[in-house]
Amino acid sequence: MMSRRHTAWLGGGLGLALAMVACSVADTPALPSVQGVAQPAPNSPLVTLRVMFDTGSIDDPAGREGLNALTALMIGQGGTADISYQELTATLYPWAASISTQADKEVTTVIGEVHVDHLKPFYDIFRELIVAPRFDEADFARNRDFLSNAIVAGLRGNDDEELGKQALNAWLYEGHPYAATEMGTEEGLAAITLDDVAAYHGARYTRDNMMVGVGGGYPDGFLARVEADLATALPAGDGAARALPEPRHPQGHELLFVEKDAIATAISIGFPLEITRADDDFYPLMVANSYLGEHRTFNGRLMNQMRGLRGLNYGDYSYIEQFIQDGGSTFPVPNIPRRQQFFSIWIRPVPHHNAAFALRQAIRELALLVDEGLLEEDFEATREYLVNYANLYVQTTSRRLGYAMDSRFYGTDFFIDEIRSRLMELTVEDVNAAVRRHLQADHLAIAIVTSDAEGFRDVLLSDEPPSITYNTEVSDDILGEDEAIKGYELPINTERIRIVPVEEMFKRVS
Amino acid sequence: MRRGPNQWCLLALAWLVLSGATASSQSQERIFPFPTTEFELDNGLRVVGVDYDSPGIVAYYTVVRTGSRNEVEPGFSGYAHFFEHMMFRGTEKYPTDAYTDAVKRLGADSNAFTTDDWTAYHTVASADALETIIDLESDRFLNLDYSIDDYRTEAGAILGEYNLNFSNPVALLRESVRDLAYTTHPYKHTTIGLLEDIQAMPEHYDYSVEFYDRYYRPENCFIVVVGDFDPTELERLAEQYYGAWEPGDFEPTISVEPPQTEERTAEITWPNPTLPWMTIAYHAPAFSDETIDMPAMDVLSQLLFSQTSPLFQQLYLSDQVVDVLSGGAVDHRDPPLFEVLIRITKPDQIDYVRDTVLAEIERMKTEPVDAQLLADTKSAMRYSFASGLNSPGPIAETLGHYLQLTGDPETVNRVYELYDQVTADDIQTMAARYFAETNRTVVVLTQEAE
Repeated sequence: MMSRRHTAWLGGGLGLALAMVACSVADTPALPSVQGVAQPAPNSPLVTLRVMFDTGSIDDPAGREGLNALTALMIGQGGTADISYQELTATLYPWAASISTQADKEVTTVIGEVHVDHLKPFYDIFRELIVAPRFDEADFARNRDFLSNAIVAGLRGNDDEELGKQALNAWLYEGHPYAATEMGTEEGLAAITLDDVAAYHGARYTRDNMMVGVGGGYPDGFLARVEADLATALPAGDGAARALPEPRHPQGHELLFVEKDAIATAISIGFPLEITRADDDFYPLMVANSYLGEHRTFNGRLMNQMRGLRGLNYGDYSYIEQFIQDGGSTFPVPNIPRRQQFFSIWIRPVPHHNAAFALRQAIRELALLVDEGLLEEDFEATREYLVNYANLYVQTTSRRLGYAMDSRFYGTDFFIDEIRSRLMELTVEDVNAAVRRHLQADHLAIAIVTSDAEGFRDVLLSDEPPSITYNTEVSDDILGEDEAIKGYELPINTERIRIVPVEEMFKRVS
Repeated sequence: MRRGPNQWCLLALAWLVLSGATASSQSQERIFPFPTTEFELDNGLRVVGVDYDSPGIVAYYTVVRTGSRNEVEPGFSGYAHFFEHMMFRGTEKYPTDAYTDAVKRLGADSNAFTTDDWTAYHTVASADALETIIDLESDRFLNLDYSIDDYRTEAGAILGEYNLNFSNPVALLRESVRDLAYTTHPYKHTTIGLLEDIQAMPEHYDYSVEFYDRYYRPENCFIVVVGDFDPTELERLAEQYYGAWEPGDFEPTISVEPPQTEERTAEITWPNPTLPWMTIAYHAPAFSDETIDMPAMDVLSQLLFSQTSPLFQQLYLSDQVVDVLSGGAVDHRDPPLFEVLIRITKPDQIDYVRDTVLAEIERMKTEPVDAQLLADTKSAMRYSFASGLNSPGPIAETLGHYLQLTGDPETVNRVYELYDQVTADDIQTMAARYFAETNRTVVVLTQEAE
C-alpha cells in the first residue's frame, strides 16, 4: 500500500499501558444516530480512529492518475487551514500521536492513533485535516515528487517483487479503472495541479462517502461526536460509487515481460474472480487457496513443492483477494476492500535459468488443484488451521477496527467470526465445487520481470522442455514429477505477448 | 531508537525514522511494566515468562545468542541465517511434513529471523497449544536431523532470499558500507552473507552440522513466553521437554575491530533506475546498560533525525532535496555503526546534502541541546517504545532482544533509566568522541550511466 508507507509518519502512538482512561464506557449501537463502527477496549490508554472514504484510484480522472493518492498524501503529510505541516508535526511531537492515510483502488482511509490523555486536541487536528486540509504549494510539490519517485525510482528500480505485482495489475486490468497503480502514473502525476487536488477533495471527501470507526479507550459518545462533526463539516455527495465494468478475462496465457537488469526473475500470475468476501463461495475458496499457497507459511503446496522440495526460490504463494502484508507480520492490512477481486500466484525471484520451469510448475499446481481438488484429510487440516489462525488476524484494537469496517463494506458479519462459522459448515465437496466454479489454469495474465525477455519468451514458445538445475541429488519421485512439469503445456496466446522496457512501465494507463 | 533487531528492514526503518516516531511525557515508571518470572534448568537453559493480558493467546520465542557475528571463519558468511532455515528441516520424531502439519493444525503464526547478534524462532498461537509448541520446539533444538540433500536444496532458498533482497539498492549500499568500515570484525559482512559464500553453501554440509553443535546449546539460548499461561505448568513442561538437552562449551573468538584512523569513502553504481542513496557511518559504542555513551547517541539520533529536527525541516520540507533521512545505531553486542541513510531527490545536490548533514553533526559537538527539547525527546522515546508493547509477539521479541544482549531481563528497564539520565553535556561529549572525520565512512550510490 503506497500511502501507508508514504504517509504514516508518527509510528505508534504513546502510552505505557499504565493509566486507566477516565471514560471507559464505549458507544453502543443503542445510539440511533450512530452509523459508524465501534471497537471499544475500555482498559486501553490508546484510541484509534479510522475514517474510510469511498474514494480511490478508480476515481482518478483520465490523464490525472494519482490524484486520489496525492489528495490523500496532502491530508497525511500536510497541514490544516489553520496550521502548517511544520506546526502540525511540532504539535503532535510530544504526544507521540500518529495520523496517516492509506489510499487504495476504491477506498481511502485516514487513520489516527493517540493516547487518550491527548485525545481532544489531537482529534481537533485530525478532524481539520479531513475537512479543511491546507493545500500548501510546498507540501504539494514535495508530495507529488514523492509519489513520482515511488514510481520512477522505487517501482522501476528498487523492488522487483512489487514491480512484478504492479505489472500484473496493469496487465490484468488493462482498460479497466483498476489499471493504474494506487500511486497513479508518471504522466498523470505530472499533470496534476494543486487546484485539481482541492477540487477532488471537495468532490470525493463527502459525508455520504464516509464510514467512521473508533477503537480503544475512547470516551462515551465519542463515535457519535466524530460522525456528527464530520457530517456537519463535509459536503453532501451523491454517495454513489463509480460503476465498475466487468474486467476483461484473459484468453489463454497472456504474457507481459518487463525487461530490466534483474538479478533474478520475478513472476506474478492472475485472473479476475467474480466473488468477494460478500459471497458464500469466498469461504470454501479460502480453504482451497490456503491449501495451495497460504501467504508466507509452509502450509501451501506451492511453497512445499517449489521451495521445500526443489529450492527454487524463497517463497511461492497464492491469493483470492488483494493482499498487502501489514509491516513485518504475515497478516494483510485492513481497509483495502474492493468490489472486484482477483486470484493470483506470487513466485518470488527465481534464478533466471530455472524461471521457465518455476512458471510451469506453479501453473500446473493450480491445474492439479482444479482437476483433483482437496482430499478429505487436506480439507480437514486446512480448515482447522484457518479457524485457529483467524484469531491472530486481530491482535490489536486498530486491526480489529479495520476488519470490522471492512465487514461493513462487504455487508457481512465480522470477518473473523464469518471465517470461523462459515468454515465449520463446509465439506470437502463444497470446497472442491467452489474451486471448479471459480479457479482455472488455462486463461491467465502473467507478468514476468526479467533481464532477457526475448530469450524467456522464446523458451516458452519453443517445443523444448524447460530445464531445472539442482544443487544436489534429488529423488526419483521428484525427477519423475519434473518430467510431468516439463511436459505441461502452456496455452500461450501469441497475440497477447508484450515486452516492455522497465522505463516505460507506469508512464501512463494503456 | 536502537531497539529493532531485524536487520532486514532498513528501508522500512528509514521511513519510520523519517517520519520521526516520537512521543513525549514525563514518567519514571519502569518501561517494561509486566510481571516477569524466570527460572533456569540444570543444563543452563533460562526461561522467562511474562504475564500479559491476552486471553487465549500465547507467544513463544526461542532466543539463540548467535548471529552473523559468530561467522568467524572466512568463506562462511551467512551461516547463522542459513541455519535458521535448516531448523525447519525436521527431526526423526517430527520430519518436515509432520512438523509443518502440526504447526498448521495449531493455526499458529510461526517463523524465525536472524540478525548480526541473534536468531529468534517465534510462534504465536492459542494458549491451549503451549505444550504442543514446547514439544515441537524442544525436539528440533535437541534432535535436528537433516540430510545432505535437504541441506543443498535449502541453499537454493537462501540464494532466492539474497536475490530478492538485492533487487533493492539499499542492500548493496549496506553491504558496501560494512565492507569498507570494518576490517576484521564479523560485522564486516551483513547477515545474509556474501554472494560467493552463499553460492558455495551446497558444498559445506559438514560446517552446518558443526554450527549446530557449537551454538544450539541450552546455555546459549533463552525461552521467552508471553501471554496466557500458567508459570508453574511452564516450568514443569520446560523441565520435561528441555531437561535432556546437553550443554556445550564453544566460545567463538571474535576479532576486535581496530580504531579507524582515516575517513573511508566509496562510490558505487546501480544498474537500474534509482535516486542517489548515501550512507554516512561512524563506529559507535556497543550496547551497554551501564555507561552513558550509547544512550546519549540514541538520544542524539532522535534530535538529529526526528520529524521536528532542523535537518528534517531543512532538507525534507524546505529544500525538498531528500525523501529518506534516518540515522542511528542498532543495539549490538560489539561496536556497531551509527548510520545515516539518505535518499537524495535531486542528483546534483549530493554534496550539499552531505555537507549539511555533517555540519549539523558538528553543531552537536559545540552547542548544548535545549533542555526542554531534550526532556521531550527522552520522554518521547520512552512512550514510543512502550506503545509498541501491545500484544504478546512484540513483547516477547522486545524482551528477547535485550536478553540476547546481556542475558538479563532487567536490562530493558535499566537502559531506559539511563536514557532519562542523559544530559546535554553527555551528548556533546559523546558526539566529540565518536563523530570524528577519522571515524567516518561515506558511501554514495548512484544510477549507472547508460
